[in-house]
Amino acid sequence: MTDSKSEILQGTLDLMVLKTLAAMGPLHGYGIARRIEQISEEALRLNQGTIYASLVRLQQKGWIKGAWGASENNRKAKFYSLTRSGKKQLSAESENWERIASVIGRVLQLEERG
Amino acid sequence: MLSLLRVLAARFGGFFTRRRDDEEFSDELREHMDLLTEENVRRGMSLAEARREARIRLGGAAQLRQTHRELSGIPFLESTAHDVRFALRMLRKNPGFTAVAVLTLALGIGANTAIFNVVKATLLAPLPVKSASRVVVIWVNNLHSGWSRIGPTGLDYLDWREQSKSFDDLLLFEHGTGTVTGEGEPEQVAGLRVTTNFGDFFGIKPVLGRTFLPDEATARNNLMILGYAYWRRRFGSDPSVVGRGITLNGEQYTIIGVLPAGFATLFPAEVVVPFDNEWLKRANGDLGVLGRIKRGITLQQASGEMSMIAQRIATVRPERKGFGAVLVPLANVRLEYLRPALLVLLGAVGFVLLIACANVANLVLARSVVRQREVAIRMALGAGRLRLIRQLLAEGTLLALLGGAAGALLALWSTALLARFVPSRIPVPNAADTVVLPTIHMTGSALLFTMAVSLAAGIILGMIPALQSLRCNVIESVKEGGRGLGGGRRRHRTRSALVIVESALAFVLVIGAGLMIKSFWHLLETSPGFHPEHLLTLRIKLPNDAKDSKYREPRQQSAAFQRFLSSVQEVPGVQSAAVTEIVPLSQDDMDRGYFVVQEEPPLAPGEHLAADYRDVSASYFATMGIPLIAGRVFTQQDNLDHPRAVVIDEALADRFFPNGDAIGKHLQVPDGKQVAREIVGVVGSVHDTGFDQQPRPTIYFPSLQTSDQTMSLVVRTTLPPGTILPAIKNAIWSMDKDQPVFAVRSMDEIVAGTVSAQHLAFILLGVFAFLALALAAIGIYGVTSYGVSERTHEIGVRMALGAQPGDVLRLVLAGGSRLAGIGIVSGVAAAIALTRLLSSLLFGVSATDPLIFGAVAALLLGVALAACYIPARRAMRVDPMVALRYE
Repeated sequence: MTDSKSEILQGTLDLMVLKTLAAMGPLHGYGIARRIEQISEEALRLNQGTIYASLVRLQQKGWIKGAWGASENNRKAKFYSLTRSGKKQLSAESENWERIASVIGRVLQLEERG
Repeated sequence: MLSLLRVLAARFGGFFTRRRDDEEFSDELREHMDLLTEENVRRGMSLAEARREARIRLGGAAQLRQTHRELSGIPFLESTAHDVRFALRMLRKNPGFTAVAVLTLALGIGANTAIFNVVKATLLAPLPVKSASRVVVIWVNNLHSGWSRIGPTGLDYLDWREQSKSFDDLLLFEHGTGTVTGEGEPEQVAGLRVTTNFGDFFGIKPVLGRTFLPDEATARNNLMILGYAYWRRRFGSDPSVVGRGITLNGEQYTIIGVLPAGFATLFPAEVVVPFDNEWLKRANGDLGVLGRIKRGITLQQASGEMSMIAQRIATVRPERKGFGAVLVPLANVRLEYLRPALLVLLGAVGFVLLIACANVANLVLARSVVRQREVAIRMALGAGRLRLIRQLLAEGTLLALLGGAAGALLALWSTALLARFVPSRIPVPNAADTVVLPTIHMTGSALLFTMAVSLAAGIILGMIPALQSLRCNVIESVKEGGRGLGGGRRRHRTRSALVIVESALAFVLVIGAGLMIKSFWHLLETSPGFHPEHLLTLRIKLPNDAKDSKYREPRQQSAAFQRFLSSVQEVPGVQSAAVTEIVPLSQDDMDRGYFVVQEEPPLAPGEHLAADYRDVSASYFATMGIPLIAGRVFTQQDNLDHPRAVVIDEALADRFFPNGDAIGKHLQVPDGKQVAREIVGVVGSVHDTGFDQQPRPTIYFPSLQTSDQTMSLVVRTTLPPGTILPAIKNAIWSMDKDQPVFAVRSMDEIVAGTVSAQHLAFILLGVFAFLALALAAIGIYGVTSYGVSERTHEIGVRMALGAQPGDVLRLVLAGGSRLAGIGIVSGVAAAIALTRLLSSLLFGVSATDPLIFGAVAALLLGVALAACYIPARRAMRVDPMVALRYE
C-alpha cells in the first residue's frame, strides 16, 4: 500500500526503539510505543503494531534481547533491553542520523534561484 | 555480513520454533492490547470504546501475526510449503476436477515421454565410434546406370587411401556370413571382414584380448575377434576364450579378442576377421568404406576431393568411367529412412500435449470463475499479487507434476509396448542393408524430460488463471458474489480461443492420421507382383572359401543347389519350391549390371543399359506366383548343355521393347564371353526394393546356367513355418550334413519389415489423432456446457418470450460448432503447411488429399456437435420460471 513511506520509517523507527531502550532500560512493546509517542509530544501517533516488526528485526541482528517478566499490573510481559552490540550500533546509528539530518538540513536551506 | 548471517541463523531458528513463537507473540499482543485498553479507560472512554480504539491503534492482530511470522521465519520456504499444502487441499477438495486434469495431462505427458524414449534411442543415441560426427560412409555411384549407392572395389579403396588428404583414416569392411562347424549343428554366423586399422578406427576397447595389429594383413594369419553376443551365446562368456581355435568355412582361426557389447548397434557381427592385402586388390564385391574426415575439413570439401579422385581413377582404370563418390555422414545413413517418421511423431505428440494443456487450462479457468471471489477476498484482505500468482502457480505445477508422475507410469508401459512395435532391424531401400536399432527402454534422461515437460505445463497452467484473476476488479467481484460476470466475457473469450486452438490442432493431427491411413491402405493394396502368402524363405551359403571345398567349381555350385531343391520338393507339405539369388523385398543383396540388345545398333561409347540380374530356378515363377505374360518360363532343359536363355520382366520389355517384340531377341551381358542369350519369355514385374518403389527392369537367368555361392530357397506351403522347417532343414542336411541354413523368414515377415516405418507411423499417428479428437471433444463440451450454465437466465428469458426448445438447441449447437468451425478453418491452413513434412512417408496420396481434408472436417464437426448436444439438451430443459426466480 504505502511501501515506500514505511521503508523510510523502518530505519527511523529502529533507531528510536534503540534510543528509547538506551534511555529507559528494559521495556515491553507497549511501553516502548507509549514512550516514543510521549517524547514526540503526541505529534507522532504510531500504528503501535509496527513496533513489533522493528523489535523482531533488532532481535535478529542481536542488538536487543527479550526476556519474559512481570508488567506493572503484574501480568506476563516481554521486556526488551539493549545488548552490548546494540549500544555500539546505537552510537554509530546516531552519528549517521545526525550527519544525514545535517545534510538534509543544509540542502533544504539552499535558496531557490530566482 | 556478520549481521546478515546472524539474521539468517535467527530466521532458521524461527522456522523450527514457529509454533511456540506464534503463541508467545499472541500473548505479547494480548498484553499490549490490554494495556492500551486500560489506558483508554483511564482517559474516560467506555470499555467498548476503549477496546475499539486500542484495536485501531495496534492494528489487526492476524496481520501482525502474519508479519511477525514472515519476519521471524524463512518466508519463501514457509510460504511455498504453505502454497503446496493449500494446493493439495484444493485438489483434494475437487476430486473430479483433479482426476480429469491429471488424467488428461498424464496422457499428454506420457505419450511425449514414450516418443522421447524412441527418439532418444534412435536419433540421439551415440554411435559406438570415436569422433562419430566426423565419420562418413563412402559409396560410389553411377547415376547414368542407375546405381545411386554401391560399394567400391578393393582397388577403389586402395586408390582413395593413397590419394585422399581429407581423411584421418579410411576403413574398408565387408559384411558376410561364414559357416562355423565343429561341435553341434553347423552354424551360419554374421561376419565382418575389415582392414586391420579396425580397432583404432572405431576406438574399440575389447572386453577380452586385443584387436588386429596393422601388419597382420600381410599374411594369412587366420585371426578372429568375437562379437560380444556370440561370445556369450556360443562360449558362455568364457573368459579363457582368447587363444582358442575355431573352424570357419573349413579353415582354422585363432580367437584373439572379444568386442564390447555396444559395438553390435553399429555392426551386428558375430565374428570379425581381417582382409588379406593381396585379396584386397582382387576384391570386386560390394564393399563398404568408412572414413573419418579430418578436423576442420567440411563434408563438401571432402566430397569435392573424392569426386576429383574418382575422375583421376577413371583415366587410369577406364572401367571406372562415369563413377563418382557419395559421402554421407554415418549418423544420417543409419536413420535417414526413419528420421522423417520419428520427427513427424515427435511433432504429433507435441500437439497432443498442447491440446491436453489447453483442456486442463480450460478446466482451471472454469474453476477460477468460482474461485474469483476467493481471490478477490484474499486481495481485499491484503494478499499481495505476487503471493497470489505464486499460489496459482503452485497449484498448476502440482497438478502438472501429478500428471507427469502418472504420465511416467503410462510411458513405462507404453514404451514396452512401443518397443514391441519398433522393429529391431529396418531395411534400407536400395542399399541391400538393414539398420539395427538399439533396444528402447525408459531411462533416467527420459524421466528428466518428463519432469521438464511437466514443469513447463504447470507454469502454463498456473499463469493462465493467474493472469485472468489478477486483471479483475476486486470490489466488483466481491459485490457480484460467486457469479463473477464482470470478467466473464473476457474469460469466455479466452476459453473459446483455447477451444479453437484445440480444434485446429486436433484437425491437423487427424488429417495426418487420415493421410497415413489412406497411404498405408494403398501400400497394402499394392500387389508386390507375386503372392506373398504361405511363402517361407531361407538362405544357403556354400562354404567354398576353404581349400578343400567341394563347391569350388561353378558347376558344382548350381548342381548343389539343384540337389537341395529336389530334396526339399520331396518334403510332405511343400506345394512347390524354388531357389533364387535374391528374395524380393528382402534387401538381402543387390545384383545389377549392364546389358546390350544384340539386335539393336551399338550404343555410343560410355552409354549403358542397366538392369537388375536375378538367377532363379525353373520353378521360381510358379512358386512365387509371378504371372507369365508372353513366351515361356525356364525348364530343366535350360542348363549348360543348351543355348543360353533369359526371361525379362514387363518393366524391361515396356522400356526397351515397346513394340512387344522382345521374344526371340538376344541380350548380351558383360560376363567376359559376350554370349548371346535368347529372350524366351516375359513375366510380370515385381516390386523388388519396396512397395513404394517402381519396379526396376529385371533380367532373370536360369540357375542351371549360372552359379552363385549364396541362394535363397523359397517354399510355398500351407503349413505353419515352425512345423515344416525341421523337415526342410533335414532334407538339406540329408544332402550335406555340414551345410547351415540361415535367415529363415516367412514372406509375410519380409513384407511387414518393408512397411515397418509406415506401419509404426500409421499406428502411432492413429492413436495420437484419437487422443486429440477425444480431448478436443471434451474441451468443446466443457466450454459449451459452461456457456449454457452461464446463460441459464438468458435462455429462461428467451423461453418465457416464446422460444421453442428447438430454437434453444440450435442456439447452443451453433455456438459450439462455430468454435469448431473456426478451428477447422485455421486447421486447414496449418495442415496444408504441415502435412508437407509427411510427404516422404506417404505413398499414393497427396499431402493435401481433398477427400481426407473433407472427411476429417466433417468428422471434427460431427464430434463438436455431439459434444455440444449434451449441454444443449440441458439448455432445452431449462424451466423459464425457475431460471427467472433464481435471479
